[in-house]
Amino acid sequence: MARVRERDVAAFEAVYDAYHRLVHGIALKMLEDTMAAEDLTQAVFLKVWTTPDTFREGNLGAWLARVTRNRALDALRSRALHPEGEMPVDVPVEGALDDAVFALIDGERVRAALAQLPPEQRDPIALGFFGGITHEEIARRTAMPLGTVKTRIRTGLRKLRSALEASMAG
Amino acid sequence: MSEHAEMIDSIALLALGVLPEAEAQAVAEHAQGCAECRAEYAELRTAADAIGYDAELRPSFRGADAARLKSRVMDAVRASGAAPVASGGAKVVALPDRIGAARDRRLWFAYAAAAAALIVAIATGANDIALRGRLAANATRDAQLADIVAPGSKHFSVPLGEVVTSGGRVYLALRGLADPPQGKVYQAWTLQRGEKAVAPSITFSPDPSGVTIVELPEPVANLAAVALSVEPVGGSKAPTSTPAFVRPLS
Repeated sequence: MARVRERDVAAFEAVYDAYHRLVHGIALKMLEDTMAAEDLTQAVFLKVWTTPDTFREGNLGAWLARVTRNRALDALRSRALHPEGEMPVDVPVEGALDDAVFALIDGERVRAALAQLPPEQRDPIALGFFGGITHEEIARRTAMPLGTVKTRIRTGLRKLRSALEASMAG
Repeated sequence: MSEHAEMIDSIALLALGVLPEAEAQAVAEHAQGCAECRAEYAELRTAADAIGYDAELRPSFRGADAARLKSRVMDAVRASGAAPVASGGAKVVALPDRIGAARDRRLWFAYAAAAAALIVAIATGANDIALRGRLAANATRDAQLADIVAPGSKHFSVPLGEVVTSGGRVYLALRGLADPPQGKVYQAWTLQRGEKAVAPSITFSPDPSGVTIVELPEPVANLAAVALSVEPVGGSKAPTSTPAFVRPLS
């Protein structure tokens, strides 16, 4: 990213090659529309190029995933499919992204780690992340009490992190 | 239950991004002053951030679609050229030298709007949360910029800018638009093919950044022309002032 900040097109292309499957994949999964997903993918990478300083530290893939998800939520809201009006809030916490965990991460590892979660934990997590809905809506759709949703998401995220760490260690 | 106990239960929801905005803000504010919640957030946020990789396309995602998408992105990037980096680290986004060149003209607003957004971001950068909020608010604008510079977009010159059609959408991209008189706003008008009179479209005020980008709600299909005039706040059913421009889309 240092070279991208210096306007190095080749460096940008390397970033694109490394992460376009992640960005485009999230866009496709959330928007379920090929053209809209391509538009969003272009917008995300154009952001990388035009305002590279918005990425400050941590893992670039994780940052791109978050940016893509937030953009997709914007797009979903603009379609009025999600009238709840919830906004992603980002908390600046030092060390929020653990490079050791992310160093070797890829789709296969995450899919394998998610597969280790029981469905009652995996489903609300996936619904919340990709569906862009609130925990209250998750509770409504899954017919679970709010407290149960909270507990299962928390437990599921902890297990997911452990599974990812084990995967990296292995 | 104490405030802390209530908040830490919500940290996982915050990390996953599934809290309504007001609740998320409250939990985030608590987390910033609570070491235990901050640590919990950092740990769970790592897991939450990883979930996006579940959607990562397989390495087999190649072929015409992948090549076309990459070409589209790289075209936009290459066309934007290099911008010098100021000694203080802040970027100065250069405007194209040859405004008259078709390619440069097509990209002019992307440069200018990116520069304006960057200046606003730097100006508000003292507070991390404020900066992040500002950047989030720019998301829609960035998507519009991507639309405007997309290959296949069509650009029609008007005073102070362009009318741009792209992906079935219509934009006004204007620079240096003066503030309208007190009690007035700008109003766009659209003329459908086969019609003799314009129909009222969106009303707006100039963007403080100096670059105003407005997406019209009407789809581009069947549009014959776009016009702009100054109207009373709330808009008019028919133009009450001489239009600043009437631009045929052909």
